[in-house]
Amino acid sequence: MFGRLRASRRLRRFARNRLALVGLGVVLFVIFLAALASAVSPYNPIEHNYDEILLAPSVRHLMGTDDLGRDILSRVLYGSRYALLIGVAVVLLELAIGATMGFIAGYFGGKIDTVIMRIVDMVLAIPTLILAIAIAGAFGGGLWVMILAIAVAGWGEFSRLVRAQVLSLKELTYVEAVRAVGAGNVRIMFRHILPNSMGPVLVYTTLYMPTAILWSAALSFLGLGAQPPTPEWGSIISDGRSFISYAWWIATFPGLAIMLTTLGFNFVGDGLRDALDPRFDRQM
Amino acid sequence: MLTYIVRRLLILIPVLVGVTLIIFSLMHVSGDPVRLMYGPNVPKEKVDEKRIELGLDKPIYVQYGNWINQLLHGDFGRSIHVQDRVSNLIRARIGATLELTLVALVFTLFFSIPIGVVSAVKPYTAFDNVGRIFALFWVSMPYFWLGLVFMLLFGVRLHWLPISGRGGSLWSIAGLRHILLPALTLGLPPLALFMRLVRSSMLEVINEDYIRTARSKGLREGRVVFRHGLRNALIPVVTLLGLRLPWLFGGAVITETVFAWPGMGRLLVDAVTQRDYPVVQGIVLILATLVILSNLLADLVYAYIDPRIRYE
Repeated sequence: MFGRLRASRRLRRFARNRLALVGLGVVLFVIFLAALASAVSPYNPIEHNYDEILLAPSVRHLMGTDDLGRDILSRVLYGSRYALLIGVAVVLLELAIGATMGFIAGYFGGKIDTVIMRIVDMVLAIPTLILAIAIAGAFGGGLWVMILAIAVAGWGEFSRLVRAQVLSLKELTYVEAVRAVGAGNVRIMFRHILPNSMGPVLVYTTLYMPTAILWSAALSFLGLGAQPPTPEWGSIISDGRSFISYAWWIATFPGLAIMLTTLGFNFVGDGLRDALDPRFDRQM
Repeated sequence: MLTYIVRRLLILIPVLVGVTLIIFSLMHVSGDPVRLMYGPNVPKEKVDEKRIELGLDKPIYVQYGNWINQLLHGDFGRSIHVQDRVSNLIRARIGATLELTLVALVFTLFFSIPIGVVSAVKPYTAFDNVGRIFALFWVSMPYFWLGLVFMLLFGVRLHWLPISGRGGSLWSIAGLRHILLPALTLGLPPLALFMRLVRSSMLEVINEDYIRTARSKGLREGRVVFRHGLRNALIPVVTLLGLRLPWLFGGAVITETVFAWPGMGRLLVDAVTQRDYPVVQGIVLILATLVILSNLLADLVYAYIDPRIRYE
């Protein structure tokens, strides 16, 4: 009962935040475009057309064409599929690794905690993007290699966050109470601690989506991610880089698409953080 | 304080060992270095000969031991593609990377602290709201794209600034003109992040009792904000600075590639694409060491400012 009341209050607080709503609109718009990319794209995103190379934006090609005559708008539209796929896959993988490790470390404490957190320290000591570049390069690059590389390099912060959550929840009286009435470890973990630690994890996940998208675009830009002719935003920008001085449109539009998408997620994450922060509850 | 420093240093040892393990295994998944060196057409006997010469026929733990032994003697091995020692290659490039990251860092701090303080002193005003949107905007920006846009705008269109390379010493006009765009590209996203951090940290401090005390004993507002407020607000910011430094190095790799800045980042990207793993290992190890040292420094500064930490 209480829980539901609080949930609806949080929902209302989120709905009052105009930036968050704008962000939500942008995210839904990108999802919509990704779902309908094949229907709304005016041209085939990978088919060459040597009669129409390096055309400036016009009514026929709203974002112009590249050096192989491919329509940039169509490539950008299809690119939204890759961005969302990569973002979701990276976040889910990192959650799977990071949350599990953090949870075990926080819940059991002691030696297990020390060992896991030292491993996290090691992974975090190497800058995530650089570790991801090195791993992706070692395995020869490619879309899925890149996704795995970013996830393997980046789960450390997730586990720290989840561990901190579990540690603070573990000490609360209600956990002691359920333990006193005879609940076992597994039940306490899944029934009482996990659901309550989800708030901050959700915020972090939303705020991490844009980071995952930005990093994957950077890796593709360096040639370690999606390979040509995949219409992935980072690799379109990389294609456009050599033409930057006389065909600005190739690199500009996919960059704007990345920015719009990440901005949407950041607005939503920011709004969620405000809505879920328990300190706000007390002030009201 | 001394026991604290010693304890922190001891914790570093397993972390460093772990880092070398991670880096060493990277080499092993990337494929046979001798094959990479010779290509597919060299006869097997020659390959085997080279493998024995490099010690690659020995068990893996012996190889790791040898590698660590070399590292401890300051030997990072030889590049596969360039006829040179990895340490020489890195030495030639590390200065440019440190210069770029330091300039970007100074730029970040120079602007983020005052902007953050003003946003916190006058929260939810127009200034604060613009700052909030600006911050979300910049952290959403892909580095490499931002760099390209800067190049297009200030280099190709306006012809104000050079778009690639390093112009010599930082203290010369050419040096300054060359570093401006890369440093802006690298510094703006962290600037956005830090001004918000300073703001939230400052907001928390401003509601503390000791600030009310300072105000009620009649201190001027400026003194309250800067002496009593900012000094305490900067404590968590210092820690975060240490934690965020890896991001700056990661960004430097991208920025250097975009602007053809002759630093370690570009060397790393070239080495990765050519699968020159001794070079990759060397650079990743150096960067990881820099990160570990800066985290240590942040911890020590933290413990120095806030004595409670030392007795934890």
